[in-house]
Amino acid sequence: MRPLDPRLLRHARAARGYVALTAALGVLTAAMVVAQALLLAHALGAAVSDGAQLDVLAPTIGWLAAVVAVRTLVTAVQERFAHRAATRTVAELREQVVAHAVALGPRWLASGEGPSVVTLATRGLDALEPYFVRYLPQLVLAATVTPAVLLVVLGLDWISAAILVVVLPLVPIFMVLVGRLTQGRSEQGLASMQRLGAQVLDLLAGLPTLRAHGRERGPGARVRTLGDAHRQATMGTLRIAFLSGMVLELLTTLSVALVAVAIGLRLVEGRLDLVTGIAVLVLAPEVFLPLRQVGVQFHAAADGVAAAGRAFEVLETPVPAAGTRTAPDLRTATLRLDGVAVRTSGGSTPHGLDLMVRPGTVVALTGPSGVGKTTALEIALGLLRPDDGRVSIDGVDLADLDTATVWAQVSWLPQRPVLEPGTMAELVGGDDESRTTAAALTGLDDVLATLPDGWATPLGRGGAGLSLGQRQRVALTRTLLQRTPLVVLDEPTAHLDAAGEQVVLDTVRALRDAGRTVLLVAHRPSLVAVADDVVLVRSDAQVLA
Amino acid sequence: MTRGTLRRAVRLLDLDPRRFALALLLGTLALGCAVALAAVSAWLIARASQMPPVLQLSVATVAVRAFGIGRGVLRYLERLVSHDVALRGMTELRTTLYERLAAARPETLLRLRRGDLLARVGADVDTVGDVVVRGLLPAGVAVALGAGTVLAMCAFWPPAGLALGGCLVLAGVVAPAIAARAARTTEQRALQSRADMTATALGLLDDAGPLLVGGRASAELDALRDSDRRLAAATDAGAGSAAIAAGLGQLSVGVAMLAALLTGVPAVGAGLLSPVELAVVVLTPLAAFEATSLLPAAAIQVQRSRAAAGRVLALLDAPTDPPATDDAPGQPPLVATDLACGWPGTPPVLTDLSLDLRRGRSVAIVGPSGTGKTTTLLTLAGLLPRQTGTLTLDGHDVDHLDRHAVAAAVVVGTEDAHVFGTTVLENLRVARGELTATEATDVLARVGLADWLVGLPDGLDTVVGPDARTVSGGERRRLLVARALVSPAPLLLVDEPAEHLDPERADALVTDLLNDPRGVVVVVTHRLSPLAAADEVLLLGAGRVRARGTHAELLRTVPDYRDAWARERGSD
Repeated sequence: MRPLDPRLLRHARAARGYVALTAALGVLTAAMVVAQALLLAHALGAAVSDGAQLDVLAPTIGWLAAVVAVRTLVTAVQERFAHRAATRTVAELREQVVAHAVALGPRWLASGEGPSVVTLATRGLDALEPYFVRYLPQLVLAATVTPAVLLVVLGLDWISAAILVVVLPLVPIFMVLVGRLTQGRSEQGLASMQRLGAQVLDLLAGLPTLRAHGRERGPGARVRTLGDAHRQATMGTLRIAFLSGMVLELLTTLSVALVAVAIGLRLVEGRLDLVTGIAVLVLAPEVFLPLRQVGVQFHAAADGVAAAGRAFEVLETPVPAAGTRTAPDLRTATLRLDGVAVRTSGGSTPHGLDLMVRPGTVVALTGPSGVGKTTALEIALGLLRPDDGRVSIDGVDLADLDTATVWAQVSWLPQRPVLEPGTMAELVGGDDESRTTAAALTGLDDVLATLPDGWATPLGRGGAGLSLGQRQRVALTRTLLQRTPLVVLDEPTAHLDAAGEQVVLDTVRALRDAGRTVLLVAHRPSLVAVADDVVLVRSDAQVLA
Repeated sequence: MTRGTLRRAVRLLDLDPRRFALALLLGTLALGCAVALAAVSAWLIARASQMPPVLQLSVATVAVRAFGIGRGVLRYLERLVSHDVALRGMTELRTTLYERLAAARPETLLRLRRGDLLARVGADVDTVGDVVVRGLLPAGVAVALGAGTVLAMCAFWPPAGLALGGCLVLAGVVAPAIAARAARTTEQRALQSRADMTATALGLLDDAGPLLVGGRASAELDALRDSDRRLAAATDAGAGSAAIAAGLGQLSVGVAMLAALLTGVPAVGAGLLSPVELAVVVLTPLAAFEATSLLPAAAIQVQRSRAAAGRVLALLDAPTDPPATDDAPGQPPLVATDLACGWPGTPPVLTDLSLDLRRGRSVAIVGPSGTGKTTTLLTLAGLLPRQTGTLTLDGHDVDHLDRHAVAAAVVVGTEDAHVFGTTVLENLRVARGELTATEATDVLARVGLADWLVGLPDGLDTVVGPDARTVSGGERRRLLVARALVSPAPLLLVDEPAEHLDPERADALVTDLLNDPRGVVVVVTHRLSPLAAADEVLLLGAGRVRARGTHAELLRTVPDYRDAWARERGSD
């Protein structure tokens, strides 16, 4: 993993100031660590060897107290801004990732890495918090305190500095070496560990099903066996994973011990004075402390860095260039698809689709499930670019048009209607009279009759509080009132009974009577019968559900 | 949540006291090596500066090296032992949880499944277990090490020892308490904005297309930005206390060192303390705070674990199934009289249901979507308590029978049943353990999955993903129907088997089910054509049975039914 990804600074403004602050505090900390060691050595050395008393030592101890105060302050300031920077950076990245993913469109979101973006945006990026709060400051200290202290030790006593300099490079070398040696085994262990863990959860999640079949008693023993296997797999991994930590601790503690012994032996021979000895003894562990902390925080931070890396991948996925021309008026313009195909792993779905949507007509797309009817709608709406073929409005390629000017003329009712929070009246729009007329047609008046406050009833996000069928009626009513020239309906009768189906048929007829164009996906023959044109969508993919 | 929550949960981990004590000992010795290293090196240097014969220093030089090695090795062993203890505890808790839930009332489980709580419980058990390694053990080590160091320092010079004790309390008790409170403040304040943020982000990503076309995407992005701003404000509210906690930790190290100097120097002058001992008293505290530095994080962990323990215990305390009082074997017929079906605590979705289901008899239930047909099936299978009315198997009240006797007689295949993350064959064997591969292939062909099976890389041994994310909706549904079919139970209740299928295949599957030699209840939302095969059709509406009879009778007497059927026929 890269300790500090430059892309982080490029994409997150909050991170820049924080890294600068952390660097400044790191330099200050280095100075304070050195000052504390030297002052302590002077005070203690004088007291031990010369029997100096408080009156002599008072100034030194005063300065020492000042250093302690500054270090306290530096630590507090670091912590104070670390949390803030972490939250802000996570927020900045989240907003960018979500905005970019939305711009990439629904097809990208539904395929490949799309679904993982949801986890990344809602939870994954939070792993950056330990990275910012714990790891980054230690990383900076490793770059400031470690070299500064080493230089001071070199100035004081070159032999101790030599011991430390010999050990210091061994730390990363051994960590990498142990890492290399154990990588294969620990990855294998990790995989089986996760698999066993998932199996236990799977049994718990399936408990209602096991009970329905009266078979819930046996797997209790299996939960224990799986748990034991999981523990053994985990311990196997940990035995290796902890090795690098042990090597690190051994090297650093042992080298400090060697420094102490070397100082002691030279003190006996009078080749070194006590003040220098104490200063070096206090400073020696400080050389390694930041490195050890970096090691301790590494795993927590690695998750955050990995999450950020995935965020950058999303952000670096190019969005197709948007068109700039204003769309023709869809009340008079014709939407055409010529030989349109979208390639998938199994073949093209749809395959070679020709479609002409003339103003004021009802056009139905039919075909078995999985041939790409919804995909065809997304292509017609400009949410997805076809791999082959061309989409145009009155001869102008859809890719050259500013999609916002197309969408302003379209109402789209997807399979699952999307409703923002608000009152029924706000959701549906229109004035009282037109609302009432439309509601009578779509059967929304029946739904309203059951609501406590009628039109003023507030609904939660996604229409919470209504059933799927009721939500569909709200969406249909809104579509009626929106007065956009083109209405796109994706399987409007799915999940509906006969009465619900009739409502949809009436609505489609009312839309046509109002001179509006309707493009719909129809599964049921009744809906197909309403259409002026019926287009069979084909796929050349082999396996169909 | 009470204070005893975590204690109860930790007791359920059933930690092995000897192993835990060993971990504690190893941890204390490991950090003790670090403190001893500091103390002995201080003594070594101070004594050496007095230029004694080298031999006098030899013990110290060896000890310093030994402590240097001991620390790393002991720490390694401690981490292994403590993780082992924690993992054993988690297995114990998971097993207990599974067994208690297996004995809980069925509706408790169904509720959990609906609320997605079961998916969270795994993470919660882990969080409870984490308290061992990240909470209890660091705290125990800090206490043991702190007490040991303070006592040792007191042996040299009591005032310095006491000052060290005070500072350790500051760093190990006060600072962690503040840190934990800061974390709690942040978490509580952030709760609502975090939920808003998640909902907005999810909405944007799930419905990107409709939001873009509807021109609402930018407004939703603004809403996301706004909830993130509130989240940041909540974090800022706790950051001040977190800063104070961190500062206190740093301050106490410095104060301990200053106190040792200020009290030790006059003591040397007064002859109460030797100069060499002064060096030890002043330099040792620097190492003693390593144990306390972990405690703020430990306090936060304890808090997290306590919250998780609360959720786990709520599951463990779920009411258990009352023991059976009637040991009759469950067998047909299943007779419901004036049954009211509904979730406990909510108004019934269906009242006055009477049904007689015996071997060879098939019943179809038809009605608009959202009229509680699944709830009805669960009630008929005895998995949900009925609100009123009677339900008997061969004349015996279902409530008094053993759960397994009921399950042996009636099996329900609901649409939200779990598909286990194992092979296709094992998933079918959930219903009947001794199912052979040939039987499995036959039943999959029967539900129209023969082609699907051929396309699978390993046939019946293909692993389907956890909860079948790798199969399509239609395939999943039919796999569940196949599982219901292989069950040895004489009575089957099947929920919407034909959803996601084209008309011909849907009709064939429903007809086949209705012709099954067992007693069968099939729920259907649309497609009335295959119902000629049913002995009786129940038409639901407005919370009751609107009409019942054979398909032909309903066509004759119920205009709605005839219209719907005619529409269906006309469009075929």
